[in-house]
Amino acid sequence: MTAGEKTSMIGAWWCEYRPIVVLATFFMVFPFVLPYTALANEIMLFALAAVAFDLCLGYSGVMMFCQASFFGVAVYATALTLLHLTSNIFAAIAIGVISASAIAAVVGFMATQRSGSYSVLLTLAFGEMIYFIAFQWSSLTGGDNGLTGIKRPDLGILGLPSISLQSSLSYYYFSLVFFLFAFYLIRRITLSPFGKVLMAIRENEQRAQAIGYNTRLYKVAVFVIGGAFMGLAGSLYCMYICFAHIHYVHFEISGNIVMMVLTGGMGTLFGPIVGAFIIVLASDLASAIWDRWMIIMGVLYILFVLFARGGIWGFYEKLLSTWKGKNIEGSPSEKAAIHS
Amino acid sequence: MTDLIIAQVFNGLVLGMIYVLLAMGLSIVWGMMDIINFAHGLFFALGAYLAFTVTAWSGSFFVCLLVVPLATAVIGMLLEVSLLRRLYGQNILYQILMTYGIAIAGRELIVILYGPVGKSFDQPELLTGVIPIAGIFFPIYRVFVFALTSLLTLGMWFVIEKTRWGSIIRAGTENLKMVSCLGINITGVFTLTFGVATAIAGLSGVLAAPMRGIEPFMGDLILGICFATVVIGGMGSFTGAVAGGLIVGLSQSLVTLVMPSASVIIIFVVMASILLLRPRGLMGIRD
Repeated sequence: MTAGEKTSMIGAWWCEYRPIVVLATFFMVFPFVLPYTALANEIMLFALAAVAFDLCLGYSGVMMFCQASFFGVAVYATALTLLHLTSNIFAAIAIGVISASAIAAVVGFMATQRSGSYSVLLTLAFGEMIYFIAFQWSSLTGGDNGLTGIKRPDLGILGLPSISLQSSLSYYYFSLVFFLFAFYLIRRITLSPFGKVLMAIRENEQRAQAIGYNTRLYKVAVFVIGGAFMGLAGSLYCMYICFAHIHYVHFEISGNIVMMVLTGGMGTLFGPIVGAFIIVLASDLASAIWDRWMIIMGVLYILFVLFARGGIWGFYEKLLSTWKGKNIEGSPSEKAAIHS
Repeated sequence: MTDLIIAQVFNGLVLGMIYVLLAMGLSIVWGMMDIINFAHGLFFALGAYLAFTVTAWSGSFFVCLLVVPLATAVIGMLLEVSLLRRLYGQNILYQILMTYGIAIAGRELIVILYGPVGKSFDQPELLTGVIPIAGIFFPIYRVFVFALTSLLTLGMWFVIEKTRWGSIIRAGTENLKMVSCLGINITGVFTLTFGVATAIAGLSGVLAAPMRGIEPFMGDLILGICFATVVIGGMGSFTGAVAGGLIVGLSQSLVTLVMPSASVIIIFVVMASILLLRPRGLMGIRD
């Protein structure tokens, strides 16, 4: 093997793993920059859910408004597993992810029967359905009181001494591993032939059908994949907060996840992470200063939709173009937004 | 037992008529402007709270029936002109986020003004008590609500089917571009449509207040049920909204007899089964 071949191999490796390395480095130091570790954990887990939704929205053009159902069902499934079945951390995560993707398959099957706003309304209605079920089936879910007494299990890998995850920092790094792995998988999906089909569906569904793809099947698959990753986020979140509550299946969570993707910029995978950072930090700060902080969030939603539709990146581009006095017709990310 | 069932059917019809009014507004706005209006529940709550204030001021419940719908219509039209108008033709997620933002901000404003705890709302004195019909006692207030909402629904049917404005609405739901090509000022029609939808939502809030009391989160709760109603009835269809509302109200009140804890879930069970059999909803006209 010549030196040149070796460098090109390293180059290829670097090309494929650079985003992961960058993310890993960033998130390693992240908890030390923020006032407390729990905030870093919250941001990271919502970032995971947002990246998963970006795969649906930004790459496949699949719109939905029931992210909270996938997230929250995983929260409940994990909580119930830990309370009643086993204290194996991997089993708890697996059950959370599987139940979230099962729900996603059902909702996806129903919602993809229609298109456009009708499909979005169907996901909304199913989201409400899951909320009301969680609310009324209080013998299982604890209703408005939620499920308490969940103990975060230790990390036990066969043959190795078990590691305690009780400190927030150790749990943060435990979930970081999952986060990086999930991000890698999602990025691989967007680069794979399967991902190219998804983008084709986003650009023009009828053409994709004309080529011979069963686009509905692909869209249901996107629901399931997105749901699985949102479920992973929910599962990890459950063990982070040690609590399950109907708040986690409420529409508010869905709205926040959509906001994260849109503020960061859709179809970028990195944007949603920035978006999650902004939204979680904003609600954390706002809730600290005022009891009725939700009004601030409401106004932020409205202002965002009015003035910063293309996300942070689009806003920056817009500023730049007005600064230079050029009248560029919409930023690329804004165009993508209109397109989908 | 039959008495109980008949009483419960009547309750379901009254409840269903409230849903009909709300679903009608939601469905018209959706069919016409292609906006899923998350703030619709807010106007319901707003109607109830305005009724509370107006009753306290004027001392009469009946003033509210006129004043409050006008007030909510004005608020709705102002919101349409200032905010929603900028979003037509944009990605639907933006519209949902915008209307959701309005809904949260409005709800929190109600909490700030009136406090987070619910209030009881007295029935108007003129309408308290019961009337016996064929040996069964019906609360007068509910009979009044049923009569008024039925009249209103008939009136809406007349407007939509027989007037020029109604034909513009129906045409706009079918094909908006064609309507504006015919030289009709769509912008004004949109504002008016939104005003009518919010007026009806406000009025249903007024009517529902004495039956259920008022609390800041009442809008959120009813919005989910309204989505299900619209999905059951089918998008942009007037008869669909009526059928959906009555089905939802009846199934909710009848299930309460058997299994009270499932009274809300049944709505969504009905919704899911109708969707499986008929994906576009009962009377849906468009995908």
